[in-house]
Amino acid sequence: MKNIGFFLLVLVLIVQPAAAQVQQEDFKPEDMTTFMIQVPHGVEGNGLAVGNNTLSAYLYFESYYDGNMNVTVELDLPKGFVLREPSVNSFSLHTEYDDWYRLLDFYIPADTPCGTYNITAKAVVDVEGTKHTIVRTTQLKVASKEEVANEVSVSQLIIPSDEDGYGDPSHPSNTLIVQETSPALKKLLKVTDLKTENEDLTTTFMGIKLTNTGNSTIPVIVTYDILDTKTGEPVKAFKPDIMGMNTDTVRYATLTLSPDSSSLISLPMYISQDAMGGDYLLRVKVKLTGSDWVAVTKDQKITAISRKWEPIITTFIASLLGLTALGFFLSRPRKIMDRFKTRNLVMIALFGTVSFAAINLPMTILWELSHAIFGPFSFLFTGLFNEILLYMLIASLVVLIPKPGVISLFMMVRFLLGGFITGSFTPITFITLSVNAIMLELMLYAGGITSKNPAPHNKFKMGILCGFADMVSSYVSFSVWMVLYRLFYSDWYIASNILIDGFLYTFIGTWFGISLGNRLKKVAE
Amino acid sequence: MIGARSIAEPTIKDTVIHRLDPRAKILILISTVFVAVSLDNQKTMFLLFLIVLSGFVLARTPAIKIKTLVLLLVLLIWGTIYSQALFYSQLPRTVIFTIISPDFPVLGWLTGGGLFVYEEGLHHGAIQGLRSASILSLGLLMCWTTDSRDMLNGLVGLRVPYSVAFMVITAVRFLPIIITEVATVITVQRLRGFNPKKFGSGIIRTLLNILTPTIANCVRRTGTLAVSIQSRAFRANLDRTSLKKLKFSDIDKIVVAVCVFAAISIVIMKLIYNMYTSGIYYTSGLRPIYAIAGGYL
Repeated sequence: MKNIGFFLLVLVLIVQPAAAQVQQEDFKPEDMTTFMIQVPHGVEGNGLAVGNNTLSAYLYFESYYDGNMNVTVELDLPKGFVLREPSVNSFSLHTEYDDWYRLLDFYIPADTPCGTYNITAKAVVDVEGTKHTIVRTTQLKVASKEEVANEVSVSQLIIPSDEDGYGDPSHPSNTLIVQETSPALKKLLKVTDLKTENEDLTTTFMGIKLTNTGNSTIPVIVTYDILDTKTGEPVKAFKPDIMGMNTDTVRYATLTLSPDSSSLISLPMYISQDAMGGDYLLRVKVKLTGSDWVAVTKDQKITAISRKWEPIITTFIASLLGLTALGFFLSRPRKIMDRFKTRNLVMIALFGTVSFAAINLPMTILWELSHAIFGPFSFLFTGLFNEILLYMLIASLVVLIPKPGVISLFMMVRFLLGGFITGSFTPITFITLSVNAIMLELMLYAGGITSKNPAPHNKFKMGILCGFADMVSSYVSFSVWMVLYRLFYSDWYIASNILIDGFLYTFIGTWFGISLGNRLKKVAE
Repeated sequence: MIGARSIAEPTIKDTVIHRLDPRAKILILISTVFVAVSLDNQKTMFLLFLIVLSGFVLARTPAIKIKTLVLLLVLLIWGTIYSQALFYSQLPRTVIFTIISPDFPVLGWLTGGGLFVYEEGLHHGAIQGLRSASILSLGLLMCWTTDSRDMLNGLVGLRVPYSVAFMVITAVRFLPIIITEVATVITVQRLRGFNPKKFGSGIIRTLLNILTPTIANCVRRTGTLAVSIQSRAFRANLDRTSLKKLKFSDIDKIVVAVCVFAAISIVIMKLIYNMYTSGIYYTSGLRPIYAIAGGYL
């Protein structure tokens, strides 16, 4: 047994140095390493550059050897090229798949003659004291800016496109739709798990067709900006942060343009929901890979269509509501009208006349005049007539005839009278008045003011109910203006109008209207 | 009140416009409203406005009414320009004047970053003002060339319930009386020392002081009027006869057919175009419609 152990020990001592020697002898630099040079960075094969430009050379070394190695890499640039960093770099790799890389910036002077230059990188690998040399050479063509700019062109911009850059005739060209999906639909899709995209961003694509008419391969990077047509500044809403990253980091494409060829690429376009509609300038920039110099710029005017779905849906529902109410009335007019005594009808008609004489007629001029003088703030003044006076009449009429349908008939008389005498048969008047009538009827009936046991004397309750009803109809009115007449209103303005005109003035008008109604009741009795 | 009358009273003449059936006028107005609301193209909107204005020439509208029309149109368009100059929310937009700076305490925050006058908003307001101007002008043309009784006959002819038409007739009939009453009450209130122009609670007091006697008179009148019309068999029979029967002439029929057809076509084309731009529906067969709607409507 002792003899066997001794024999094994001797065998190990003999074999180990021999194995080490075999390992050293077996190290083949080309097989057991990867050494690569790209000039400029990102270009496999021969690169292209222009004078007066700074480029980056990319050096990469990877070991497949399971042991230590010391490497010295040296970059040899043609005469005249100015290397900004040390040309020699030394490092050690310790295990298999260990790697090293550097980006070495160098400058090509403006007076560098056009032509093709060799760039060499040499790696000296020291493995266990034995040195191996690996050499890589690449070519860089230096061309004039005019030559490159003439050879590369953006031959087509396709907006919007599919993911592959192809245009889709089902979408209007050069048009971006902002807020395409309605918020309600988005919520529904989210609830039903049908769509789980980022709610704040709209994404589409742009196809860019690049053409190289020259004889050399041109590596390029394509980027774009969406600019304000007046200031020329990039618009933030089209550069939203994506997962905390700047959009620029994801909206570029690199490609190598073969001689005499065209390539179609696509780039994503991100649009945040606060993007405004209007006209923009799309600027596509093509840079030579590894360079900051913009070889080609292509501008195209694009239009963003902003869709605010809430006003659209509100207008649609309000129109539907108004038409339904009208249809309901026209389908059973006698049944509805027979609920009212002739005396009631006459009183409603006369209240309609008073409202027209005291509100509509003076407001035909005053509304326009105050609008022209005070602009959008005229509602503070016109509200005194439109809201306080109107609700004084409505409240007093309800006190005199506390029946469902009174307000609808009053509104109908106002609408027809306004149409016949001032020609205001407008969709806005119809929708606003019908929604106002419906809301008031519903609120007052639900609040017990015009129900079977009417109680129209509670000033506070009726003021609140009328206030809320008018707030709704004010919002509808703004929505209709925005959708049908394509007008813009700020949110703060709509809110203040709804609160002051819609609620406050209405409340005041109703409060005084009930007092007026009580006094008129004595006259009627 | 003179101003109010110049707005309200029709001028009856014998022109092509005056001779149109009131029902035809109502249908033309409704068709034009749909067209005006559908249009987006500036040139077409302006063309529509000019067509409407040409109606005033054909109707040989008196100078006082033309002045009223011009005044109303100027105020209307300026009002739209004013508001849109402030609220324009498209790009590009150029600030030409700052009303509230974003740094202004409270108001800067309340207005969501200040209030500015935008150059492009002025232009947008002028264009969009044309839409309301066309509708207003046609409405006034209709009113100024049609007697209110004919208009109401027209409404009844268009199946508006007679009770409603009666209410409107009553309202129209009493309008001059109530206008005079309001004017009298204001004069009386002024003689008693009230200032109707005093802002704030003064306005509410003035309004109450004007409304109370005016409506009290109306309430008193209601009883008498109700007894009077009931004694004349109001609502006694289902069917009513009319002294003046309306009849569509051939010109009426042609004009109405053209207007209604044009309105339906334009609305449908715009609807199809908007469905296309929203990515809701597209078919290559409708390309000519997309081209027309995108280029001219």
